[in-house]
Amino acid sequence: MAKRTDIKKVVLLGSGPINIGQACEFDYSGTQACKALMAEGLEVILINSNPATIMTDAELATRVYVEPLKVPFVEKILEKEMPDAVIPTLGGQTALNLALDLDAAGILKRLNIELLGAKTEVIEKAEDRAKFCKVLDKIGAKYPKSVMATTFKEGIEASESLGFPIILRPNYTLGGGGGGMAFSLEEYKVKLATALHESPTSEVLVEESILGWKEYELEVMRDKNGTFVVICSIENIDPCGVHTGDSITVAPQQTLSDREYQDMRDEAQKIINEVGVETGGANVQFAVNPENGDRIVIEMNPRVSRSSALASKATGFPIAKIAALLSIGYTLDELKNDITKTTLSCYEPALDYVVTKVPKFAFEKFQGATDQLSTQMKSVGEVMGIGRTFKESFMKCFLSLEVKENLFDKMALDEKKVSYPNSQRMYHLFQALRDGYSVEKLNQMTTINSWFLEQFEQIVKFEDELKMGEANKSNLLKAKRLGYSDKHLAKVLNKTPSEIRKLRWDLDVRPKFYQVDTCAAEFSSETPYFYSTYWSEPDPITKNPDTIVMLGSGPNRIGQGIEFDYSCVRSVYEFQKQGYKVAMINSNPETVSTDYDTSDSLFFEALHEESILEILNQLQPMGFVSQLGGQTPINLAPKLIENGFKMLGSSLESMDLAEDRGRFIKVCKEFGFKIPRSAMAHSIGGALAEVADIGYPIICRPSYVLGGRRMEIVEDEKELKSYFSRHSLFISEESPCLIDQFLERALEVDVDLVRGLDWSVVGGVIEHIEAAGVHSGDSMGVIPPQRLKPDVCEKLQTLSLKLADKLNILGFLNLQLAIKDDEVFMIEANPRSSRSVPFIAKATGIPLVDLGVKAMLGFKKSEVNPEKYVWNNGQKTAVKGVVFPFKKFLESDSILGPEMKSTGESMGRGKDYSEALLKALVSSRFELPLKGEVFLSLRDKDKAELIDLAREFESMGYTLSATGGTAKYLQDNGLNCLKTKKVHEGRPNCVDRIRSGDVAIVINTTSGKTSVEASFGIRKSCTEYSIPCLTESDAANAFMLALKKHKQANFEVYPLEKSL
Amino acid sequence: MMGSLVLESGEIFSGVWLGGEESVGEVVFNTSHSGYEEMATDPSYYNQILVLTAPMQGNYGESNDFWESENIWIKGFVCLEMQNSKRDNSWLKKLTNKGCPVLSEVDTRKLAITLREKGTVWGAIVEGSGDEAIKKAQQMIDKNKDEKGDWTKVVSCKTPYTLEGADKLGSKIALIDFGCKKNILRELQARSREIKVFPANVSSEEIKKYNPDAIFLSNGPGDPANVIEGTQTVRELIGYKYIYGICMGHQILAQALGGSTFKLKFGHRGANHPIKDYIADKVYMSTQNHGYAVDEKTMPKDIEITHLNLNDNVVSGLKSSEHNCASVQFHPESHPGPHDAVTIFDYFTEQTKRC
Repeated sequence: MAKRTDIKKVVLLGSGPINIGQACEFDYSGTQACKALMAEGLEVILINSNPATIMTDAELATRVYVEPLKVPFVEKILEKEMPDAVIPTLGGQTALNLALDLDAAGILKRLNIELLGAKTEVIEKAEDRAKFCKVLDKIGAKYPKSVMATTFKEGIEASESLGFPIILRPNYTLGGGGGGMAFSLEEYKVKLATALHESPTSEVLVEESILGWKEYELEVMRDKNGTFVVICSIENIDPCGVHTGDSITVAPQQTLSDREYQDMRDEAQKIINEVGVETGGANVQFAVNPENGDRIVIEMNPRVSRSSALASKATGFPIAKIAALLSIGYTLDELKNDITKTTLSCYEPALDYVVTKVPKFAFEKFQGATDQLSTQMKSVGEVMGIGRTFKESFMKCFLSLEVKENLFDKMALDEKKVSYPNSQRMYHLFQALRDGYSVEKLNQMTTINSWFLEQFEQIVKFEDELKMGEANKSNLLKAKRLGYSDKHLAKVLNKTPSEIRKLRWDLDVRPKFYQVDTCAAEFSSETPYFYSTYWSEPDPITKNPDTIVMLGSGPNRIGQGIEFDYSCVRSVYEFQKQGYKVAMINSNPETVSTDYDTSDSLFFEALHEESILEILNQLQPMGFVSQLGGQTPINLAPKLIENGFKMLGSSLESMDLAEDRGRFIKVCKEFGFKIPRSAMAHSIGGALAEVADIGYPIICRPSYVLGGRRMEIVEDEKELKSYFSRHSLFISEESPCLIDQFLERALEVDVDLVRGLDWSVVGGVIEHIEAAGVHSGDSMGVIPPQRLKPDVCEKLQTLSLKLADKLNILGFLNLQLAIKDDEVFMIEANPRSSRSVPFIAKATGIPLVDLGVKAMLGFKKSEVNPEKYVWNNGQKTAVKGVVFPFKKFLESDSILGPEMKSTGESMGRGKDYSEALLKALVSSRFELPLKGEVFLSLRDKDKAELIDLAREFESMGYTLSATGGTAKYLQDNGLNCLKTKKVHEGRPNCVDRIRSGDVAIVINTTSGKTSVEASFGIRKSCTEYSIPCLTESDAANAFMLALKKHKQANFEVYPLEKSL
Repeated sequence: MMGSLVLESGEIFSGVWLGGEESVGEVVFNTSHSGYEEMATDPSYYNQILVLTAPMQGNYGESNDFWESENIWIKGFVCLEMQNSKRDNSWLKKLTNKGCPVLSEVDTRKLAITLREKGTVWGAIVEGSGDEAIKKAQQMIDKNKDEKGDWTKVVSCKTPYTLEGADKLGSKIALIDFGCKKNILRELQARSREIKVFPANVSSEEIKKYNPDAIFLSNGPGDPANVIEGTQTVRELIGYKYIYGICMGHQILAQALGGSTFKLKFGHRGANHPIKDYIADKVYMSTQNHGYAVDEKTMPKDIEITHLNLNDNVVSGLKSSEHNCASVQFHPESHPGPHDAVTIFDYFTEQTKRC
């Protein structure tokens, strides 16, 4: 074996908090790599600031550091651990950039640490556009004409030589951040300024547009001997012009001839060799001119990526695992193919099925943001569908997306929505086909390859055939093979989905579960990784009384992300430990849960009633679990139970009691929780009457909303009227507006607990840093609580446990409580594992998920010893930080409110609150300027509270500036403060000042629709220029604490303790 | 209309009959994602019903440039989906116009698993389904199954012809056409002065009359053990000039050197087979298409095994310094498949110049 013997200890860099462009695919790659390296007997030191990951479970590596992925922190860890090498290729762009920084700071050299997988020169050759273009020239590959601009002037000159449209690509940014496309000089100027700012090196590649070309990506691997394999070819349905993360993509490629494909493969191989990728995974993106087959190289990444996670799931080839093993010296022909177990890893997967990926967007969360797709990634998650044909796989994706839109619902066609890429394009495209648009015309409108359009056309056209024909076996089978869901069939045939299902089952039209085997059936494979298809006869039904079906959480979205995958995976491990087999169902290719070796069997299927029932019916398992995957499986549970399957843990009755507001309030009151006064109103008239009793401020939201959609704090009658007029579409007799008393300035806490038959454990109480009014997913939090009085904390735990008893919870319960004047208010209860579970587990060392599994399995108190799990046990202080995607949605306000907008979280651990805060903020990519100007614009009610803060800033040597009222208040209180104009007072105003780089920190509190809108420019400019902007007074105070700590610069780093 | 592929072992795989004429052949599957046209025109597929495991075929149309010979040699084309739209059904038309039966909507995965487990079998593509189809097919198989014939003679050119090479200083090559792919000719032409292509039944005297610098043995269809004449000719030429070959040429050379071949359970057909090349000390991907292989145990001791298929360690290349010859089992000329092994032609060419 060629494994290197000189490497005994490696540091693996993670990718930090989830944001757009860098999501849980790196938990998948990191976890895989970690497991592989540990199995090789290496000491693995893992660094990642994202607590919601499986990879940061203390059990996974030799030692785990949940610390910021920044040089000063990582330097300390390296000094402490003295590893032989650092692997930077598995943690996305963050890890790669960090490696470059560590190298540039001379730390790697000083400590004699080797970079494995990609050396600095290699990273630079691939990532630095100018150097990369040189590589391409050398091997004779073509690329778009481009100019590197480092100043605004150079950029403008470049545009003159290139002509419009022009693409802007800032160097060294994630997911094309700060880039974009400009069609006119005017638009170009704006984007150029942003792009220059976004690039950490102030370099922007200004590039000729290849709009409308076909786009491809090859996922490749290479070992130190030069063996090169393409794991997967991916074709984008959306032609060039849309970021590949936002494109619907297909694997393997469908429209290139063998000749064209092999030439592309050759070029990829040459690029990898010339860039100097010695070992590991990489990807190369190409564009092909549909007119004449001309091919150009778009870019390459010398690391595993989002698309390599997709490629791994699509083919069964564990890219990250193999990359890790290659980096320590193995070669591809020395490693087994994990799926077949009989052949080797040096092969190119052969697929006898088609895989489609469809991105999931969240434009509706970002008011003001335009739903337009470009070269900058906007999607927040993705689903993957595997089918025997493209049509089957494509339609599966749309069943998996969990959106209200359906491809088969008639709608008013908007041609613009067909012609211009946007998140709704497919729905309009399908409508256009229903309206009789020809493939030729649609090809002209969209430049989507006709082959794809024909596939869509076949799906749509069959609707008519179906309507004319009978609902017999042959037609049902045809429809299923075209990817029709029961819902789709029901719509066309005017029946209910359950009638369709019954009809199907009576006619034995059921899916076959085929294996993903990496080799198109050439070799037998034992790995139970399945997808369903109607292109074969169904298998006989089996009985699996020792199998538990785990329902995953589906595509990442704001409000339901990696935290739930963490819970799912961790619980799979625990169920297995307790002797059960687990079958996992999920549709999200980025996750650890959809790794074929996480569970005993994996079904890559939609989390949809139809798909799950087919699997349950096929497996006849002991039961299913729906407490761990967030709200998705909870919503599915009733239908599954109705069909005779058993749910583990809390009963439907318990869940209903917690989720039915009316019944729940009654129970809460019984137990001494206060409940905010509340009412319902169908109209503004009713609302006004109700508010008379409740009193302002109030929180309004339409019923049936998730993640706080359209939830707003309303302070007076004028705003209430405005609220009703703006949201009139969502408020009706059937769907009234819910009005709650808003507990202003209340302290909010999250309580996560597990209850068994005769025992319970409180996992922890997280105190929110921001006061009530900010969605719990968006607020920072700290454990143990810093402001909550101990007796109140005791009391709320007692109340929570009693409530869990009353609800008869078996498993998880998450409570969101507010404390005002020492009284405990119940905000809401979630009878499931929550977003905060992984954070709590890591902050306290309590293996909360394991306990939840034991609870569901009916473990007794004597078997669990609950008394040993004490959350407030003198461990470190842990702060949860939050990451927002506002940079991608500049037209949307970054002010925090009751609607969740964050994509990810970080964790800072410290010996005290300030150290933990500092780390959480750094990890959340907050800038912490040590000097400069602090700009304040405060609403009246915050002025008194924040005067001390302003004073502190001044004493620390910062200068102050503020707009009218705030400036006067500060001056009246004896502070030196520069007065600047508000935006409506003319120029230069405060926004100009921020934009010109004079301001280092902004504190801007505001409320009420009008004031919020008036101050939007302030926050927007902060987002654009990465200036810290605090919009809430408690958060501002916390920021100050972190700043002070930062100034002292005396932090420590701590490995995570193993679970209790 | 329904159509069926019936295996001689009795299994029936029904699908949609898309045209062509009913026929009989050895049923084989290939796992390449692309390259249907190259495969269908590769003479090595003569007498075979080609099952493609990639779901859709015909998706990128057709082009005469992709042809590897002047004919469609396969006896049938079986797939899950066939490109058949108003805009483009060119590949389907091309096949059926030549009389090649096309069967789509067949559960090709189940079929491939059956072939993998049972081994390569004969079969017939017939119109219709059910017992009647089975009966008809079995009669056809009984009548047409041919396991003893020397198929290389069927597909080979009938009279010699000469091709000009691109390298004025290169060698003069005598090529025995056992069913040569065009791209082998192209790769050789690029590296030689002149190539004279001889039919499969050429005698050693005729070759010697041409006085070549080296002799190339091409790929071709069928069981090498049946290629008695070709093997004899090569046996007579060993030691005369440098001899090199590909696929069938490799098997014939092995036989001529005293070794024998055996039938693989279900063959190697695809574009993703890993090869360990001991000459270049490299591992790379190769295109493969063979149902038989050289039996290492039967090879004389002085023969060096130069290439191995890493999936099952089957001999994939050999060399003999003493007898001045070398060959590979796989297809460095690709078409379809990866180009990784194309440098073997350079290696071969160098050897032709040494003598």
